[in-house]
Amino acid sequence: MRRSFPTRRRFAGWVAAAWLLGLVAVGLAAPLLPLPYSPATPDLANLTIAPGQYAAHYLGTDPLGRDVLAQLVFGTRQLLFLSLPAAAVAVAAAALLGGAAGYWGDRGLRLPWLLSLGLGVAAWVWLQPPLLAGLAGAAAGVAVAYLHRWRLPVPLDSLVLGLATLLGALPRLVLVLAFAAGPPLAGGWLLALLALLAWPDMARLVRTQTRQVRAQPYVEAARAAGLPEWRVWWRHTLPAACRPLWTYAPLALAGLIGLESTLAFLGIGVAPDTASWGQLLSQFRQAPDAWWLLLLPGGLLVSTMLALQVFARSQRK
Amino acid sequence: MISWLIYRLSRLVIATWAIASVAFMLSRLSTQQPEQVAFSRSDSIGPRGSAAVLLAGEHAMRHRLGLDVPLFYVSRRPGPPVRWQWNGTHNQYHFWLRQLLHGQFGLSYYDGQPIGPRIGAALRYTVPLMLLALLLAVSLALLLAQYMAAGTGLLRRAVLLGLLGLQALPLFALALGLLLLLANPELFNILPANDLSSEQASFGNLVAYLLLPLPSLVLSSLPELTLPLVATLRHELTQPYATAARAKGLSVRQVLRRHALPNAVLPLVVQLAGLLPNLAAGAVVVEVLFALPGMGRLMAGAAYTQDFPVLLAGVLLVAAARLLALLAADVVHYRLDPRLRAALA
Amino acid sequence: MLLGLWLSACSSPSVREAGAPIRIRWQRDPETLDPLALPNPQAIEAANLLHVGLLQLNLHTGTHSPALAEKLPTRRLLGDSLSEYDYQLRPEATWDDGRPILATDVAFTLKLMRCPELPNEAAGAQIDFIKDFRLDTANPRRITLICRGQVQDYGIASGDFPVLSEAAIDSALLLRRFTLPTLRQAQPGVAKQLAALTSRYQRLDAAHHPERLGGCGPYRLVQWTTNQSLTFERKPTWWADKLPQATTVLQARAQRLRYVIMPDGASATLALRRHEIDVLTNMPATDFNKLQKSAAALRELSFYTGASYDVVYAAFNIARPALSDRYTRQALGYLFDAQALLQATQFGQGVRTVGLLAPSSPFYNDSLALLPYAPDRAAALLRQGGWRFEKGGWWRPKVAEPLHVVFRYRAEDNMYATIGLQFRAAAARLGIAVELRPTEPSSFSQTLRAGDFDMYARTFKGNPFVYNFMPLLHSQAALESNAMRFGTPATDQLLLAIACEGQAARKQRLLRQLQVVLRREAPLVPLFYLPYRLAASRQLRHLVVSGLKPNYEAAALSWATSDSLVAAR
Repeated sequence: MRRSFPTRRRFAGWVAAAWLLGLVAVGLAAPLLPLPYSPATPDLANLTIAPGQYAAHYLGTDPLGRDVLAQLVFGTRQLLFLSLPAAAVAVAAAALLGGAAGYWGDRGLRLPWLLSLGLGVAAWVWLQPPLLAGLAGAAAGVAVAYLHRWRLPVPLDSLVLGLATLLGALPRLVLVLAFAAGPPLAGGWLLALLALLAWPDMARLVRTQTRQVRAQPYVEAARAAGLPEWRVWWRHTLPAACRPLWTYAPLALAGLIGLESTLAFLGIGVAPDTASWGQLLSQFRQAPDAWWLLLLPGGLLVSTMLALQVFARSQRK
Repeated sequence: MISWLIYRLSRLVIATWAIASVAFMLSRLSTQQPEQVAFSRSDSIGPRGSAAVLLAGEHAMRHRLGLDVPLFYVSRRPGPPVRWQWNGTHNQYHFWLRQLLHGQFGLSYYDGQPIGPRIGAALRYTVPLMLLALLLAVSLALLLAQYMAAGTGLLRRAVLLGLLGLQALPLFALALGLLLLLANPELFNILPANDLSSEQASFGNLVAYLLLPLPSLVLSSLPELTLPLVATLRHELTQPYATAARAKGLSVRQVLRRHALPNAVLPLVVQLAGLLPNLAAGAVVVEVLFALPGMGRLMAGAAYTQDFPVLLAGVLLVAAARLLALLAADVVHYRLDPRLRAALA
Repeated sequence: MLLGLWLSACSSPSVREAGAPIRIRWQRDPETLDPLALPNPQAIEAANLLHVGLLQLNLHTGTHSPALAEKLPTRRLLGDSLSEYDYQLRPEATWDDGRPILATDVAFTLKLMRCPELPNEAAGAQIDFIKDFRLDTANPRRITLICRGQVQDYGIASGDFPVLSEAAIDSALLLRRFTLPTLRQAQPGVAKQLAALTSRYQRLDAAHHPERLGGCGPYRLVQWTTNQSLTFERKPTWWADKLPQATTVLQARAQRLRYVIMPDGASATLALRRHEIDVLTNMPATDFNKLQKSAAALRELSFYTGASYDVVYAAFNIARPALSDRYTRQALGYLFDAQALLQATQFGQGVRTVGLLAPSSPFYNDSLALLPYAPDRAAALLRQGGWRFEKGGWWRPKVAEPLHVVFRYRAEDNMYATIGLQFRAAAARLGIAVELRPTEPSSFSQTLRAGDFDMYARTFKGNPFVYNFMPLLHSQAALESNAMRFGTPATDQLLLAIACEGQAARKQRLLRQLQVVLRREAPLVPLFYLPYRLAASRQLRHLVVSGLKPNYEAAALSWATSDSLVAAR
């Protein structure tokens, strides 16, 4: 009997999931593993040693004397603690922002009059404008609020779409380089930046899906039954709208891993005492004869991203 | 149609201006001062003067670069009490906008030279390379997709695996791999030195110069163009019109080429519109790796050295290219799909 | 594959004929050839080909030799705060159009370097010590420079700038209306009156068309493709050809010089092996050693190495409370394994030192021993400094945090990364946490100035003829160079005395004292002197190699064939 196509895909999906779980396990257990060398200690007597040439350096060393095996093992932690959280944050942000933009559009969400008044007062206190300009602004604000019957609409759709277009219009790498060369930011800046780059595409997906789901009869029924809007959105619309994310999230993670390795390759945002696969690959430029610096981290990188893509394909119905 | 086009173009202009203004504000608000960057450029030229002399020099440079005028039309002093001040047209934003409307991008912080010619020179390298890569990738994608949608078999599955593998490989790893293969003194030795302007500069030399960056770019963008196209083509082959054509006696290849492909090309066009801004942005990694003096390396270098005018000009160009590409994609979509024309009319 | 084999076979060495360009590698583009703004060493090298100054660096002797000046300037002290230097220009010196180079051109250049609204801030800072000048009405080729201070190296620094032509730039003689002190004060109305001159200068676009300034050097620029190559061609007639005895600095034998820009060391070595460049300096250590083992390379290339005058050092931020006492600094200095670092990064080439002077210098203090790698001595010194080791870290009474170091260095260089990693590993074994922060070069000086570091690693570019450590160690020096914030009145006085001292014996005593003070106070830890590595084609003649940058004298080079032609004549 011939194996049918879906089963083969599902099998490949299991293999991919096993590989990814294995990586996660290695990453979490890295400090406990009995490695002969630590990843950041240079062995100054053995620079750029090929695998098997020196006793305890099983996979060789790089031009700075660091053990390749230790760097590969600890490099998985970069994936775990940088790319994975960044992807998670991006997925969450995309779901929330895209879902909200798709559900309420430009005029759906209206602020209660107390909140609008509070915002106006806060703006006055923070800006402290000169008297004439302030009064003019206040008068304009009151007029606008009156036109909208004292409940100002929040243009969610335009805001989210505009932000997504803005972030999409700039080339990713240049954006990161510009931020990297700027004033040094706090520790999690790289994570925040990666998340910032990944959420626009997914948000657009969720937004389109939300608009379709919103037109479904069961959503209308929920609203007719008198449930509050946010509850309809949270409990009934959002879970259905996030379904395409299951296929897209692994691809986004793969993209982030690629971006993070490219940054490590270019030397941005990573110190030499943190192990990273991209950094190993960048050392290959210093020593073009050291094939193990290209094949080993490159192979791991390719396998991981391939696994993510195969896993994503297997999730598609 | 024309009115819609004008409406979209006006939105494009406003969007570009907004993006550029935001980028301008972000760049000026950076704490890094260009005059300090200029003085500290090279580690080998130690300042001979005392701190006071250097400070005076920095003030002079600040004044020359026009950085000691206020930033915007209004400025706000935060300390108690909060004071607002109207600066009139004597502010950096106004000067920058006025310069931009005259078509000048200003002077670079790094060497004080006009930016326009530099960007022009960089585009002269980037645009041909990226255009060639895009054309090659698209032609190859069309051919491969037709081949793969035509049937199943061991070779086709191998090609699919190969494409999946290429998709998983980041661009820099691919370029490094090609470098290892083709520029190894022990193996082949095709990589030329960066000497495009030697006396024997010829077509052959140019070809060798592009020999490594071009395959990297083509191979890295091939999977994302081919795989969706294959899926669409396979879907089109299941449509009734395709079955009718096959029943009439056309081979699978002919059905693909004459009937399925025109329908499947539409999403590809939209995808191309997304790839078009890369013509202006260049591929930073490839250009840095192979030391090509293109836009990607220019912008990366400008980001590295905090040369904000150059960075702004590059960002402006890329943003405008992107928005234009989106507009072009909409227009092409409209022209290609009769259903849209009927809906709008 | 065949194409590849064919291409590599085609690059065999051919005998270069006399007119062929000598191809030299540069690491980056000079970016601008404006003699007022020379931002990097490549631009300075190009300026030395296009222009001549009063004095010029002579790699052969390791000092400055008179170029436009007839001889080294005579020095006169005025009181205790001023010094004067007399320069006499050569009578043979002329511009390209035949007009003689006069003292008015030198005066014009000095004023141009202080002219507002021109990109000359860095140049102006370099000659800021020149207060004024005096021309001699009887002798149009004589100029006296009046300098503020009596530092010895003014004798060289006062002549080390390219002289520009007044007629080519300022034919209306606008700058003659202003004196140098007026321009130095940067008064607001001056800029408006000189607007015509500044706009003309900007239109000349000296950055990309230096020939419009009419330089008096032996070469002119014939081609410049940004980030690719530059070509200089020898002028057919140059004023220094008529000199009866030309010194090394006034010899220009090379007919064409082409500088090829290759940022990557590995591809530059590849180009050298494929005979696409003829002179390669700043070679990576691994490639240098590997090439010397290849018989083919030894046949075609000659290799030169030796100690340069650049010393790699690690320094401390003395303003930080944890590092304000010298015991802590001395302790951290013992954690550097300089010998192993020298072996690992430079393959043993280069030389260790006890201070900021090379061991070959006559003023080297040989009674001081080299700093060994001694973690136990470090621990003892930490205890002497009041630190106690408990709970896995070093603590001081009444201080909330244990000893923790932020180590910064320029991100481009692998050598600094190795030093940082070794220091970090050694400190970790002792219980001190070290955070490595590779910083982008553009923000490196910024962070040094702001004091946002505990330690940093850097290279100090020295030279054998000037012993002026004031930019590095004086309390009034700019924070970019004296980032350690080091300086007491006693050390300031010592530095000033060294800089002004002319007599050798007294100078030796003062310099030895300085090295002892540096060892005791330990504001910095000198690690080793870098070697220079140069490889050149064997067909080149008159290759003068020196530890001073750029390690070779480009203008003096010539092909062997051209020499035989000259001999045959």
